[in-house]
Amino acid sequence: MNLATDSRITADLLRPLLGTSGKYYVTVGLLGAVTLMGLVAWGYQMYYGIGLTGLNSPVFWGFYLINFVFWIGISHAGTLISAILRLIDAPWRRPVTRCAEAITAFALVIGGTLPLIHLGRPWLFFYLIPFPDGRGLWPNFRSPLMWDFFAINTYLLASTLFLFLPMIPDFALIRDRATGIRRTIYGALSVGWRGTPKQWHRLESAMQIMAIAIIPVAVSVHTIVSFDFAMAVVPMWHSTVFGPYFVAGAIFSGIAGLIIAMAILRRVLRLEQYLTALHFQKLGQLLLLMSLLWGYFVFSERLTIWYGNDNHEMPVFWATFTGEYAPFFWVMVACNFVLPLILLSNQKLRTISGCVVASCGVVLGMWLERFLIVVPSLSYRQLPYTWGSYMPGWPEIAVMVSTFAAMALLYTLFVKFIPIISIWEFKDGTHPGPEPRPIAEPRTLPARGAEAAGEAL
Amino acid sequence: MAKWGMAVDLDRCTGCEACVTACHAENNIPTVGPEEADKGRTMHWLRIERYWEGDFPDVQLKFRPVLCQHCDNAPCEPVCPTYASYHTDEGLNAQVYNRCIGTRYCANACSYNVRVFNFFNPEWEKPLDLQLNPDVSVREVGVMEKCTFCVQRINDAKIDAKANNEDGLIVDGALQSACAQSCTAKALVFGDLEDPDSEVSRLSGSARGSKLLGELGTGPAVTYLQKESWYESGDR
Amino acid sequence: MDRRQFVKASAVTGASASLAACGNPEDQFIRFISDEILPAGLAVSRRSICPLCPAGCGVEVRVMEGDIDVVRDGVAGVVKTGLAKKLEGLPAHPVNQGKLCVRGQAAIQVTYHPDRIRGPLQRTGERGSGQFEPVSWDEAIGELSSRLGALAESGGQNGLRMITRPLRSQRGFLIREFLERFGAPPAVTFDIFGDEVLRDANFQSFGVRQLPTFDIASSRYLLSFGADILGTWNSPVSQNIGYGDMRQGRPGLRGKFVQVEPRMSQTGANADQWVPARPGTEGFLALGLARAIMAAGTRAPADAGRAGALIEGWSDGLDAYTAEEVETVTGVPSRTVEQLAREFAENLPAIAVIAGAPLAHTNGMFNALAVNALNALVGSVGAGRGVGFTPQPEGLEPVQRGERTIEQLANEILESPAGAAPPVQVLLVNDTNPVFGAPPAMRVADALSGVGYIVSFGSFLDETGNLADLILPDHSFLESLVDHVPESGGGRAMASAAQRAMRPLHDTRDMADVLLEVARSLDFDEPLEWETYEDLVQTRFDTLSPPEGFDSAWIAAQFGGFWVDQSPSSPQPDPPAADIVPRAYSAPQFDGSADEFRFHFLPYVSQSFLDGSLAHLPWLQELPDVVTTAMWSSWVEINPRTAEELGVVEGDLVEVRSAHGVIQAPALIFPGIAPDVLAMPLGQGHRNFTRYASGRGANPIEVLAPMRESETGELAWAATRVNIARIEGEGGLITLAGALREDEELSR
Ligand SMILES: Nc1nc2c(c(=O)[nH]1)N[C@H]1C(S)=C(S)[C@@H](COP(=O)(O)OP(=O)(O)OC[C@H]3O[C@@H](n4cnc5c(=O)[nH]c(N)nc54)[C@H](O)[C@@H]3O)O[C@H]1N2
Ligand code: SF4
Ligand code: SF4
Ligand code: SF4
Ligand code: SF4
Ligand code: SF4
Repeated sequence: MNLATDSRITADLLRPLLGTSGKYYVTVGLLGAVTLMGLVAWGYQMYYGIGLTGLNSPVFWGFYLINFVFWIGISHAGTLISAILRLIDAPWRRPVTRCAEAITAFALVIGGTLPLIHLGRPWLFFYLIPFPDGRGLWPNFRSPLMWDFFAINTYLLASTLFLFLPMIPDFALIRDRATGIRRTIYGALSVGWRGTPKQWHRLESAMQIMAIAIIPVAVSVHTIVSFDFAMAVVPMWHSTVFGPYFVAGAIFSGIAGLIIAMAILRRVLRLEQYLTALHFQKLGQLLLLMSLLWGYFVFSERLTIWYGNDNHEMPVFWATFTGEYAPFFWVMVACNFVLPLILLSNQKLRTISGCVVASCGVVLGMWLERFLIVVPSLSYRQLPYTWGSYMPGWPEIAVMVSTFAAMALLYTLFVKFIPIISIWEFKDGTHPGPEPRPIAEPRTLPARGAEAAGEAL
Repeated sequence: MAKWGMAVDLDRCTGCEACVTACHAENNIPTVGPEEADKGRTMHWLRIERYWEGDFPDVQLKFRPVLCQHCDNAPCEPVCPTYASYHTDEGLNAQVYNRCIGTRYCANACSYNVRVFNFFNPEWEKPLDLQLNPDVSVREVGVMEKCTFCVQRINDAKIDAKANNEDGLIVDGALQSACAQSCTAKALVFGDLEDPDSEVSRLSGSARGSKLLGELGTGPAVTYLQKESWYESGDR
Repeated sequence: MDRRQFVKASAVTGASASLAACGNPEDQFIRFISDEILPAGLAVSRRSICPLCPAGCGVEVRVMEGDIDVVRDGVAGVVKTGLAKKLEGLPAHPVNQGKLCVRGQAAIQVTYHPDRIRGPLQRTGERGSGQFEPVSWDEAIGELSSRLGALAESGGQNGLRMITRPLRSQRGFLIREFLERFGAPPAVTFDIFGDEVLRDANFQSFGVRQLPTFDIASSRYLLSFGADILGTWNSPVSQNIGYGDMRQGRPGLRGKFVQVEPRMSQTGANADQWVPARPGTEGFLALGLARAIMAAGTRAPADAGRAGALIEGWSDGLDAYTAEEVETVTGVPSRTVEQLAREFAENLPAIAVIAGAPLAHTNGMFNALAVNALNALVGSVGAGRGVGFTPQPEGLEPVQRGERTIEQLANEILESPAGAAPPVQVLLVNDTNPVFGAPPAMRVADALSGVGYIVSFGSFLDETGNLADLILPDHSFLESLVDHVPESGGGRAMASAAQRAMRPLHDTRDMADVLLEVARSLDFDEPLEWETYEDLVQTRFDTLSPPEGFDSAWIAAQFGGFWVDQSPSSPQPDPPAADIVPRAYSAPQFDGSADEFRFHFLPYVSQSFLDGSLAHLPWLQELPDVVTTAMWSSWVEINPRTAEELGVVEGDLVEVRSAHGVIQAPALIFPGIAPDVLAMPLGQGHRNFTRYASGRGANPIEVLAPMRESETGELAWAATRVNIARIEGEGGLITLAGALREDEELSR
């Protein structure tokens, strides 16, 4: 039945918080174990030396930084999308925003850890933190790595805030239903929310401000990540297109990540009536748009390199186009361009499963893109005598696997304690007061959406 | 204020590699063993690049010693987040091992790929450790290192000059990098580019002189004197 | 608890802690009175001589104070002493003028090597099992003395033999005296890639049985037939110095360098013109040039004097050696022959050099004589010209090598009737490794197993030392008084000597002093008159009687590191009156038929390891061979087209098979080698030579045929034919370079 009442919505969306199945503990256990494995691998690496990786001269950067860029990219779905959607006030955004914003927060945490794992002497990471030490030594603010350090922290702070603000009314909602320790915790989290009009007004305007402020931050973050490469005189890194190229790629992979996450939630949490085919339709269109944009960037980047025919860049160009790295390149093109074009450009195929398939392709493709940016350029630097190649070591693979596990774990825990769909927003802005009011008349969910949901399942 | 530089005469260099081992011996550069060497993790601060040209029987082989170019506009310096790679006022690209946290960014940025990294702690099986040069610090795992222009010798020479020369200046030739000192064909000449009369200044101004990857604008302090062909110079 | 209690408690815990510390020895820290007091943190400079090759470069040793772990009267501790930290060339030394080669730079690792033998050892297990136990020096020397004493009494003096590498120090003299006075045959010198052919040739042509010294710096033309003058041969450092100046040392004048060889060596890589000639035909090419020069009329046959007269047909202008004929024999285009001849005659002083593979053919002697004649023809021979001979200080002439070869010794042992007492009762081995260095066909290993008692003075357990019954480890060169008389490299007669640069690290003894002690215990009828080796060297230097008197000569030598004869250089001795036997060219003979064994096999002396004696030094193992950039491994060099044809790619494991043996090594694609030649560096393939070299790579000597140079009987190590096949398995090739070519790669 498609009829839902406020109380039903509340019940549906709070269900995960109230009951916990045995399956849940198993899942958390497994994910926790895999995540731990990554940390153990890092411990090993710290004890025996970074030489356990496959890094070498000339390929001094590898999986750790590839996955760093990858996860920072993924993080670009959430906050950015939801901010834009909020600004243009797209009605269909309501069930999407929170699970999107959550991705951002977690992906940033994971992505942010990888550069530390990548360090030769991680125990000295604090040299990166600007603080007035005895010798008056500061970090080098000219280094893109420092820009990263600040950009990522800013973005993490902002998007956590952006994630937190709209949670407040929901925390209050839970608080009012919870008892004991839970009540205390959610009480604290809901920072004295009483739902007075004044508070509603403040919340709305705060959201507006954040939504506007976060967009430039998000854009700058991945631009700066691209500067880690573009600032170095390395063949096919030293390029002005990298900034927008990286931002586009980030949003691209971000949306794909979001679609996959939504599909899983929909299944696992039985949210078919909330996350409907409509949402996948919309996001699918967005994904298609980004795919075209991405294709355009790749084309213009490679065309200029090829036409310019710089003898230091061509070896990298050919290595990725026809040489040893070509298989990765063409799989990337297929995943990021051909597949989305086929699946998403036509109504019939742009179903939920269609979108999910395309998204999986894009996630793989975008990972390969990062690999193809980092490794081939380093393999073929200016002096041919120094050319080399790279195979990851076991800690790099272990850590990579564990980052995915960590993502899943954080998400699983998140949905356990916080309604993954913003209840009050979903309720179309009807503001629950301190005590839940009985709902006047039942409202229906958008019918088309429901049918679509029917079709898709 | 001196500005240290080097001239490399490719017409003299015979590829004998005395310089390579001299650098190891002077600067406590470890060996990494076959497995690590196979992974491309050898630690040579100085290498003799060799490139083949043509095919048998009209085949040629070219040698080119490559060490840190101590670039005036060094790509490896701005990228270092901790100032471990920085420029001294005497034109050295210096490396502060204690500050290095091992991001390996500098090694990517260096177009000459002369930076080498300690992927593991170096090993000197006793009593090989007794050969370590006390004037040069031994590096640990996770630290980037590279040619220092034998900065320890520069400092010795300065103290020496202060004590013994009335003008307190280092006499040209009194100071040699370990590689130049051993260079059997006198292909490497090290010295002060600020001193117009120094051997290295004279050679750096040679018509045969050019910079390695000069087009990148890194401003190397090393000048390569190109190989001549016999007939060009035969009747000069 | 109150304050008083607290103080008590902590005192107790502190005390017990320190007691516990004294309990376990590793927490004890015993510092013995310094062995040597040096200004802390400051370097002192001492003299030495590089022992790694016969060039005998002078060394300046940078010595600084340091701590070493020692055990004194059973107590472990540390003691301060002077330690060598860095070796430099001795600036004033006439041979190396302040420079050292790559091997000399690594020589310091000989002293500090972790696998050095730290004291006398006695075999416990089977011979060759490598099982030894430490013994005291008294026991060890006692054992040797009693065995020699027994020999002497039983009149079996002939049962004492010695193998040594060629020595240019007074140790050679001591060994000769020791054996002579004991009544034993002279020592057998072993040096598989030695230059005896060239010495003999020089004796024939110029009356000097010696390697030449080249004045490369002031020459305008350098024509080398396979000689690795810039790498390993003769006096590499002095030759490199001269080469550098020949190229850029004379404003406006740059000499030309031409290298003739079928496989591009490090030396050949520097040539302005590289000329591949068929192996063993170098002499024919040289005579082709001589003919063209004489035909052009710029030079007359007579100008070559005796050297020319040694070549059949020389006096009538060598009509047999037309450019066309040369092309058919050597494969060098006739126009190249004419061009080289013209340039060689026109750009004087011009130097022709021959060494290495061209002399290691059945016709090696002829090749050498031909090049000598070519030099003589253009008047390049003699003091102050391009090719000279360093005068030898009178009274210090090094011992000429014994007439017996290792092979003859081996045969004598193997052919002795079974049951009869072995002909060699006691064998002394000094600083040479014939088990590794002699082709299996010579059966040295079998022979040694038939020796009664083997005594090695080696510092490392190598293949030969492993067969020893008693090991009396020698000091390293930095730990002992060293002296040397360079055969070449300098202009004047000279001798080097230097006191030890540091105290011995281990319980080792100078081989010379051990011989003297043994001699004393044997009371020869004619005793050795020196207390110590230092006495011996002093007395020998006394015979120099330089103008300024002995003391200053000795002092100059040991403090300056060398002594140079300041008197006007002695004239070259006249050629022997022996009647002249002209030689005719004979084509080189090879072991193995061309259709069964497709390839010439060219082993070459390695830049890092020479003949293999340096494979134990980690710096040299990790030194990228400059031409191939290979490290820590062996490899077989193969022409790219040949490789393609055989379906071999770089790194593939291949099998090199001759009629006498088979070895496996990775293939290395090598653009600078003739399609019908395979080359392989010496040095690896040690079964037993320290942690760094053991079980690494393959030893090309194992496939060599026992071919002989027809006149001298020296091993013709370049006269073996082989076949190659790709086989399954890991090649294990380790190279540094990522690309073979630069421009091609970048303009792809
Ligand atoms: N490179 C370098 N070298 C220097 C200096 C420098 O600045 N740089 N400074 C110099 C100067 S000024 C000095 S004073 C010296 C100091 O040199 P040291 O005297 O060697 O100083 P520490 O190493 O601090 O102390 C020596 C040992 O004393 C032990 N110890 C601590 N407390 C006690 C105790 O109560 N009883 C006993 N028995 N042992 C104890 C410590 O554990 C340590 O092992 O170093 C000199 N050397
Ligand atoms: S050569 Fe490389 S390491 Fe040296 S200064 Fe230039 S960029 Fe830096
Ligand atoms: S590796 Fe060390 S020196 Fe290089 S950039 Fe990182 S911190 Fe700086
Ligand atoms: S200058 Fe010193 S540090 Fe640099 S390569 Fe030469 S020897 Fe090594
Ligand atoms: S020592 Fe001199 S000649 Fe020898 S390789 Fe080095 S630079 Fe070239
Ligand atoms: S040439 Fe090299 S190995 Fe030979 S003596 Fe001189 S330094 Fe030593």
